[in-house]
Amino acid sequence: MNWARFAAGITLLSIVALSGCARVEIDKSIDRINKDAADFTEGKLILAQNLDQRKALESMAAELLAKPLSQSDAVQLALVNSPALQAMLAANWSKLADAAQTGRITNPVFSFERLVLGDELELTRLLSFNLLDLLTLPQRYGLAQHRIEEAQLRLTIEVVDLISQIRLAWVNVLAAQQNRNYAEQVFEAAEVSSRLAREMQRVGNFSKLQRVRQQVFYSDAATHLARAEQETLSSREQLIRLLGLSASQAEELLLPKMLPTLPENPRTPQEISKAANQGRLDIKLAEAELQAAAKAQGLNQITSLTDIELGIRQEKRSTRNAGSSISGSGYDIGVQLPVFDWGDMLRAGMNADTLAAVNRLEATVSAAGSELRESYSEYRTAYDVSKHYRDEVLPLSRIISEENVLRYNGMLTGVFDLLAETREQIRTVMAAISAQKQFWLADAALHAAVIGHPKMLEQSL
Amino acid sequence: MNSRRQFLKAVGLAGGAVAASLVNRVAMAALPEPVIQTKPETMPPLIPNQGRPYNPVVTLNGWTLPWRMKNGVKEFHLVAEPVVREMAPSFKAHLWGYNGQSPGPTIEVVEGDRVRIFVTNKLPEHTSIHWHGQRLPNGMDGVSGLTQPPILPGKTFVYEFIARRPGTFMYHPHADEMVQMAMGMMGSWVTHPRDKHPLIAEVDRDFIFLMNAYDIEPGSFTPKIMTMLDFNLWSWNSRIFPGIDSLNVRQNDKVRIRIGNLTMTNHPMHLHGHEFLVTGSDGGPTPPSSRFYEVTADVAVGQMRQIEFVADEEGDWAFHCHKSHHTMNAMSHDVATLIGVDQRELARKITNLIPDYMVMGERGMADMAAMEMPIPDNTAPMMTGDGPFGSVEMGGMFSVVKVRRNQQPGNYSDPGWYKHPPGTSAYEFAGAPTEPARMQSKMQQGMPRLHKPSTEVEVTVRKPKSTHH
Ligand SMILES: [Cu+2]
Repeated sequence: MNWARFAAGITLLSIVALSGCARVEIDKSIDRINKDAADFTEGKLILAQNLDQRKALESMAAELLAKPLSQSDAVQLALVNSPALQAMLAANWSKLADAAQTGRITNPVFSFERLVLGDELELTRLLSFNLLDLLTLPQRYGLAQHRIEEAQLRLTIEVVDLISQIRLAWVNVLAAQQNRNYAEQVFEAAEVSSRLAREMQRVGNFSKLQRVRQQVFYSDAATHLARAEQETLSSREQLIRLLGLSASQAEELLLPKMLPTLPENPRTPQEISKAANQGRLDIKLAEAELQAAAKAQGLNQITSLTDIELGIRQEKRSTRNAGSSISGSGYDIGVQLPVFDWGDMLRAGMNADTLAAVNRLEATVSAAGSELRESYSEYRTAYDVSKHYRDEVLPLSRIISEENVLRYNGMLTGVFDLLAETREQIRTVMAAISAQKQFWLADAALHAAVIGHPKMLEQSL
Repeated sequence: MNSRRQFLKAVGLAGGAVAASLVNRVAMAALPEPVIQTKPETMPPLIPNQGRPYNPVVTLNGWTLPWRMKNGVKEFHLVAEPVVREMAPSFKAHLWGYNGQSPGPTIEVVEGDRVRIFVTNKLPEHTSIHWHGQRLPNGMDGVSGLTQPPILPGKTFVYEFIARRPGTFMYHPHADEMVQMAMGMMGSWVTHPRDKHPLIAEVDRDFIFLMNAYDIEPGSFTPKIMTMLDFNLWSWNSRIFPGIDSLNVRQNDKVRIRIGNLTMTNHPMHLHGHEFLVTGSDGGPTPPSSRFYEVTADVAVGQMRQIEFVADEEGDWAFHCHKSHHTMNAMSHDVATLIGVDQRELARKITNLIPDYMVMGERGMADMAAMEMPIPDNTAPMMTGDGPFGSVEMGGMFSVVKVRRNQQPGNYSDPGWYKHPPGTSAYEFAGAPTEPARMQSKMQQGMPRLHKPSTEVEVTVRKPKSTHH
């Protein structure tokens, strides 16, 4: 075989392999995430790959930080601001690239040897590449497609996970803030009782015991307030971390004073099942895994039989004396034979992968239904409980407060009882806020469950 | 209808009373038509135009039940029924009573009268009537289970006896007695003497009322029937001040007030400006040797007292129970004493939490009467009453005996506030007050404590610095 022709053939082969391989472009991948998880990214996921892009993101972040951050603002801010998210995208870029690599032939190795033995010159040119790669290229190409798909889906799930965590953290910090404010009111009511009691004792209207009893509420309320303050601080810091805010950005961070009000109507099961049918990431992933496993199995049956390491060795011997050269060329084929029966093992392993993938898909599909049911039920219960607080408990509490003031006016109850009742009513308001928080957590979890990331449910509980 | 009007006319029915058929007409054919009272005001005396004459009583915030004569028998018809009683303006109670009100109407008869009382039960449970203090056949005593079967709902029983003893009596149920009395079932009974009686004086004005007590949660309507001690409403004839009418008399009238006590505690009844004699109980007239002048007479539980005096001093004379919490309306017993506690700074903080909060009590409770703040619905303020010089700051068992020179005989209407002759009313001193001399005790403690307390408690008396507000 003529070297030149051979080389040309190889080159051609390489070009075919390289150009036809699953090339991965991160922008395309991100577009895909923006499409698949539109409910989460709202199409705003970007990987800044140069300084200009980075600058643009920074100014978007500054804009978002200029006003109280709504839940979707928080998500947007993370998308444009979080270095961790950018790192995750970049890391996945390389993962995607790795996956794509499996669809390519290993780069051929070309070596040139020049050996002079006395007057004999031996030139050895070696162009070596994995023959099996070459032989199984179509198969590998398909496998790579599936591996890319898998990596793509995993990346989407990671993005969904991060956004869901931001949503939960945002709800937590708002609820913690409100809780803290009401804990402060309870504290103030107790403080007033305590100070009034001290004054009462001073002028001789209260015994020490009576005064101390009032003071106990105060101390108790102070403990609760301290705990609520810490809760606010740590939930805020958690959000700051998820948003990837710098110290100066963190200082700027403004949040709404109150959790959003309950929506007029809850999402219906029809809406949810329709949305869930749009394509759940977990099922898509299990499918991709199965596809890949199946492909891999087909491929690996050959590999396990003959894991061939193919080297092409072209030898040219020439004798200078004769002025002619004897060139001999041939294939140097090395076949690696299974010494032990590990090929079978490998084969069995691959079969197990497929089997596992099949079962995993089945498990995922059946779990998806159950998880969706649970998540929706959690959401609905939280909605109903919060609505009950809004429509029933809080109005009752308001009436109790109003009637207590009337009773106080009529000397039917004293100021200490009035303040104690006020503390009670504030605690009811706090319970209502807790219910409202639970709803928004369940809402975030349901969004995640619908798209196929049900583990958010546990974090929301 | 015509016959009814004639009947009403015949019995000289006071304003507000209406005859009503409550039971099936046929079944009622033999019964006197029951007369129902719709108003809580004091009705003029029912002047008898049948039977033996007598000088009728005036029931404070109540009325006398008309009767009919049938073959020489005075027939009354009491209907036991749920009623709505206005206990004070803008405060109504859901009570049980007789013939439209609680208490029931006063029954007035004359010593020796044969009396037949039809009792129709319109309550959801059985009842009976006991004629407290009367001489009568045992089977007419009205003790359910003991002397008669209970009167079941919808049934009518007949009591008949001769009013043997002149005096002041009461009537009340003796079936599920605790509940039915807690719900307001009671009434007064007067047996006038047939002839002049050596121990029963003839008077110009003869008032009667029963004392009763209720526990009605402010903002609600129905008494708590199981309350035995913590009553929050102390009433006369199921009325509380300022809902109790004044006792209006002509100067120099001889006045009798008959007071029955169907509460669970005693009431020291106190009259201002006059001395009175206790001239009788439900046991009859007291012997003159036992009578002495006093200004307060205790009326114990289940007792009846008659007091008599000559109203010779013109004016508006307070007349009340001397237990000061009985001259208060519903209130809490747990309200802290805030006198001397400066709340101003704290009030601002409280207002943050309770926007409608008002500071009260740091000078005393009188602020409360003055402020007139909104209180729960259907509740009488603890202390109130608009007098000619400001708030009277009273409630419960409080009224006024109004003595007027020109109050015409037989006129029981309210003459308005007394106009004090110049120079006869307390006035503010215009000069500069001098420091009063203070007593300095030179006494040694006769029997000192065995162990001195380790720290001497220093008590300081706070005097008001300024009354400007
Ligand atoms: Cu009393």
